[in-house]
Amino acid sequence: MPVVGLVVHGAALVLVVTRRKDEAIVIGEGIEIRVVRIGRDEVRLGITAPVEVAVHRREVYEEIRRENEAASAILADPRRVNRSSP
Amino acid sequence: MSSTPREESSAIRLSTQFGEFEAAASHIITFPEGLPGFERCLRFVVLRHAGPSPLVCLHAVDGPTASFLAIDPRRVLRRYQCAVSDAVRLRLGAGPNAFLLWLTIITIANDDELFVNLRAPVVINPDRLLGLQVMPHDALYPLHYRLELDALARTGTDGA
Repeated sequence: MPVVGLVVHGAALVLVVTRRKDEAIVIGEGIEIRVVRIGRDEVRLGITAPVEVAVHRREVYEEIRRENEAASAILADPRRVNRSSP
Repeated sequence: MSSTPREESSAIRLSTQFGEFEAAASHIITFPEGLPGFERCLRFVVLRHAGPSPLVCLHAVDGPTASFLAIDPRRVLRRYQCAVSDAVRLRLGAGPNAFLLWLTIITIANDDELFVNLRAPVVINPDRLLGLQVMPHDALYPLHYRLELDALARTGTDGA
C-alpha cells in the first residue's frame, strides 16, 4: 500500500493512501474498507467490521449529535422544566 | 446538576430536574457507545412520571450531565415502524422476538410546540439492559416532527 502522506493530528495519525478499485485497507483487527466502485465524484466503499462496531456516515452522525445537544438543553434550562416535565 | 455514583451500594443516587431519585442497578441501561454528542455517557435510567404523562426522561447516570425528554414513537405516530436491523439486534443482545423499548427524543421545545426526532430513535433491550441510538441513513422519518399535544392528551395512559 503506497503511503502518500502521514500527518500527526492531535493524538491521531492521519494516513493518506491511494487505492484502486477492489483494493482495501485494514484497520486494527477485523475492520476492512474496500473500494467497490469508483465514479466521477463518488466512490462506493464496502465496510467489513465486527458487529459491535458501529459504522455511521459522518454527516448523519453530526446531524444527530446536533439534535441531541439541542435536546439536552431543554432540560438544562430550569425555566422550561415546568412547561415540559414528564 | 450532578449524579453521584456510589460504588459501595448497588443503588445510585440521582439528582435531576425532577428531584432526587435512587436508581437500582437493575434499572440502569448501558449504552456502549453513549449517544452522539454524549459519547462519555454510557449509563442511563428512564424516569417515568407517576401520572398519565407519556413523556419520560432519559437521564445519564455518569459522564457529563445529559437529560432528555422522550416518548414512545408509537404515541406520536401510530403506524411508526419499529424495526431494527440484524446488526442492531445483535448489538442489543436481542433475539428476533425480544421486546424492545422505543423512545424518540424531544429536540425542540418552544412555548407551545414540541418537536421529536423520529429519525433516530433510542432502542433499549430491557432484558439485557442495553441501549443505543439508531441512525438510519435511509431517512424514513423526519428529524423534526411536530408533536400534536392534543392528540397526545387523548391517548394518555389513563385517559386523563
